[in-house]
Amino acid sequence: MNYLSEMLKLPVLDVNGNKLGVVNDLGIATGEVFPHVTSLAFQGPGKTPFMISWRKYVDHVDESGVHLKACDTDVRFSFLQPDELLLARDILNKQIVDTQGLKVVRVNDLKLSSSGENQLRLLGAEVGMRGLLRAVHPALEHVAARIARAVGKPLEEHIIAWSYMDLLERSTQTIKLSVSHKTLDELHPADIADIIEQLDPRLRGQVFAQLDTAQAAEAISEFDDDELVAEVLEGMSDRDASSMLALMDPDDAADLIEELDYEKAEKLLRLMGVKEERAIRNLLGYEEHTAGRIMTSEFVALPATETAACAIDAIRELDDDFESIYYVYTLDPAGALTGVLSLRTLIVADRDARLSDLAYRDVVWVAPDVDQEDVADEMAKYDLVAVPVCDENRHVLGIVTVDDALDVIAEEHEEDLQIAGVGASESGSGEAPHMLTWFARRQYWVLVWAIASGVIAAVLDAAGGASAYVIYPMCAMPVVLLAADRVVSFVRNYFLEYDEPEDGGKPYLGFFLQTAGLGVVLAALIYLCGQLVLGAAYPDEVIAMASDPSFAPGVGSSGQVPAEVLQVQAVSISFACAAAVVLCCCLAAVGYLKLLFWRDERDLNTSGTALGVSAVLASCVAYSVAVTLLMLLAVCW
Amino acid sequence: MQGREPGSKLTLTAVLAAMGPGLLAALAGNDAGGIATYSSAGASFGYGTLWILPVMALLLIVVQETAARCGCVTGKGFASLIREKFGVRLSALAMGALLIANTAVTISEFAGIASGLALFGVPTTISVPLTALVIWLITMSGSFARIEKILLLVSCVFLTYVVAAFMVGPDWVSVARATVTPQVMGDPDYVSLLVATIGTTIAPWMIFLAQNNVVDKNVREDGIVLQRVDTVSGSVIACAIAWFIIVTTATVLHPAGIEVGDAADAALALEPIAGQWSTILFGAGLVAASFLAACVLPGVTSSAICEAFGWERGADRTWEEAPTYRGIITGIIMLSALLVILPGVDLFDIMMSAQVINGVLLPVLLVFLVLIARDAHIMGDCRNGRIWNILTVATIALITVLTVVMFVLQALGF
Repeated sequence: MNYLSEMLKLPVLDVNGNKLGVVNDLGIATGEVFPHVTSLAFQGPGKTPFMISWRKYVDHVDESGVHLKACDTDVRFSFLQPDELLLARDILNKQIVDTQGLKVVRVNDLKLSSSGENQLRLLGAEVGMRGLLRAVHPALEHVAARIARAVGKPLEEHIIAWSYMDLLERSTQTIKLSVSHKTLDELHPADIADIIEQLDPRLRGQVFAQLDTAQAAEAISEFDDDELVAEVLEGMSDRDASSMLALMDPDDAADLIEELDYEKAEKLLRLMGVKEERAIRNLLGYEEHTAGRIMTSEFVALPATETAACAIDAIRELDDDFESIYYVYTLDPAGALTGVLSLRTLIVADRDARLSDLAYRDVVWVAPDVDQEDVADEMAKYDLVAVPVCDENRHVLGIVTVDDALDVIAEEHEEDLQIAGVGASESGSGEAPHMLTWFARRQYWVLVWAIASGVIAAVLDAAGGASAYVIYPMCAMPVVLLAADRVVSFVRNYFLEYDEPEDGGKPYLGFFLQTAGLGVVLAALIYLCGQLVLGAAYPDEVIAMASDPSFAPGVGSSGQVPAEVLQVQAVSISFACAAAVVLCCCLAAVGYLKLLFWRDERDLNTSGTALGVSAVLASCVAYSVAVTLLMLLAVCW
Repeated sequence: MQGREPGSKLTLTAVLAAMGPGLLAALAGNDAGGIATYSSAGASFGYGTLWILPVMALLLIVVQETAARCGCVTGKGFASLIREKFGVRLSALAMGALLIANTAVTISEFAGIASGLALFGVPTTISVPLTALVIWLITMSGSFARIEKILLLVSCVFLTYVVAAFMVGPDWVSVARATVTPQVMGDPDYVSLLVATIGTTIAPWMIFLAQNNVVDKNVREDGIVLQRVDTVSGSVIACAIAWFIIVTTATVLHPAGIEVGDAADAALALEPIAGQWSTILFGAGLVAASFLAACVLPGVTSSAICEAFGWERGADRTWEEAPTYRGIITGIIMLSALLVILPGVDLFDIMMSAQVINGVLLPVLLVFLVLIARDAHIMGDCRNGRIWNILTVATIALITVLTVVMFVLQALGF
């Protein structure tokens, strides 16, 4: 009897072999590492539920049933104790958190182990395939396990120990779990955030509510998804939400508050303490994606005349939430920044040394309206763990710490990747997209090509029964599509590598000239290739006939145009159109660049793939229309 | 609930805002199978099946409202509730029924795409593999939301049936009389059409979709009133469109003696309004509606199954994280596409039989729904009232009886 699924529905027999009922559930005491089964719930005749103490009455358990020590008249019924859980009611089939594997799973079965004469302990919850198969039918599990072993991939049991599971449902929340129990709130906030993201919205709110405020604050700032943050904040009471925001770093809090609608944000701000409110409002005053927005006001700045000992004392007296103290900044009497010294310098210095003597005077600082990406670059360049943000009088407003700078780099990197068309949605989590998806993103032009060719054929057929000539435009079309795709990727690269000059002007004219030149060269190349093919494939006199302006189609001496002449015309039309469209596409490149800058200024995310697809489609339509019209003119009429 | 807008205030804006999802579902619900079933019903039996639609509207409201209410109260999906109340074995049964029904519907969607594109001259062997690949890529990358609106817009062309119904000038008196007087024929085709109509109107996947919708938005018990507005408006409109389709086809095709055998026949019904464009209109609508449903269905099915058995799910999970979720989707799409390509299959027949399968399996899931909805432990004060219980049980009984009659008639060889 190793599993709960085997225990359920077993008959309960008294000492004389009389059947009292069938097993319904088992109660366990929750305060142990491997909890004892403490009570037995069974269903008597007429579906009446009973509960008795396991320790007092159960003698032993085997396949034939649960055998009691007493006879039915001596059994006294008991009730569920506050620290007891019912396995089938509270755990089986429910969702739990595997706090070791950091996943939300569903319990398929529970593994028990008998120890001693009549003792039964809970080992853990079975969440794997075996438990599922066993619950459907034990024979199924045997067959599957045997087949799996024969194939060489034994079907492992996947057991989560009692001490590593956290129950999610509210009805079981009130039960006090043992100290050894690793519950959700002991995990790192980043892990908590990962787990919460796996839950349904309702459960998410409930789990969130049981975290303490400090943890909730940490976890919420670890969420990847902004909508999720807003959703969770909406679900909390205003007072909780406000005190949680007050606990967070002001810059993280400002980020979250911006996700909320105006009324809710104002309400939350007014509910928190004056100090926190002012800090957050200050940050909100700066534009998004600037140094001012991501800085924190939790820094140490002291008059340069202080001694090292005083500085160390000052740091000792700081609040707990001054987490990231790496540097001490020194100020002149007017409060302007004069120098910086690291904690290490401070600690190894003489107690009486003046800060002004220890400090490094050539301080790197940034203005609050500097773009966050530049701040990160600055920190990388000078190997800083934190950089001060100062106003024009060199008064320190705050510091940008390395954790925020890393976030900025990750964020910008992801945006760049998206523009480059590498990963639209999945690149954020660093996962490789599926191979076929990857392929589809790059080689979709084949599909465009096929469909456009079909359409051209249909139109040619409908207009003059010349669908056979579709082969010529079709041959030249890939050149157009690929050129459009390449031009867009050229624009993207240009955009990504472009460093904005100080005066803020955009290089449209230079870029236009550059791409226009490229376009002319490409177009000439394509046209010449067309001529080369013509020259190789057809005799010279046919080409001469085709290019003779006096040779109007349809008015030959016999009224019949040789098919070869028409073919030559079709080929040259196709390549000429291709060259023209490629030229237009290159001329339009500056428009794509302008679009990218325009969207970047408005902080809109641009998908490079979408841009590429639209460019390819646009050039495909232009080419198809032009080539179809010309072909109809030349061949049919 | 402190700090939450009073959700129960029935202002006009709140009502209009709430009506959204139900309306979308109603439009999307008229997919390939729906159009095929309603068209055949009208063409083969005239106004003879009209009476079932008011009944359907009522039953659809009952079922959808119950599902949405379960979602509001528990905050869990239907699959979770089945697993937690009934255990592994019965959930395996329910999920099996859902899998079969939804695979059948997906097959019919592919048949719809194939026959819609066939109107434009694209052969099945080309259209089906290509659309299957596109649908697979869309569901795998989770980029469905981007094209959803466009597809919905295109599938709105079926609203032209409403105009068409007025233009063909049916005898409104006999239409009205046929709508309110039930009539039953002993013809096995008639009975299986009734089952198909029920199956396509109250599709099992709509129960799951309705509940997921509520759960994802985390609507609480105080939002139930607005949910009711949504389900009632959506259900009534869905059935109204179906009603107009039957009226149109019954007026145009039935007197002419045309049995709907393929999409081209069905498109004839739109001729009075669209003339020579009717084929294009009908084809575009059929392709868009089927494509829409084919993108939704594999995901809904796989998500429900994974929810019941506790596997990871969601379009943002990779193959390594959620192999079963992605595997089921891939399997359904591949199987459906393969079955439709098989030589010699009658596309219109597939669309119809899928709805019959849907109808036959619907009672299985309805039994679970009613048992959950009347459970005081799960639903608390919001559990089913007596009338709701009776109506759901009546639906189950009605479909079961019709199914049995259908099989008996077929067995007797009528």
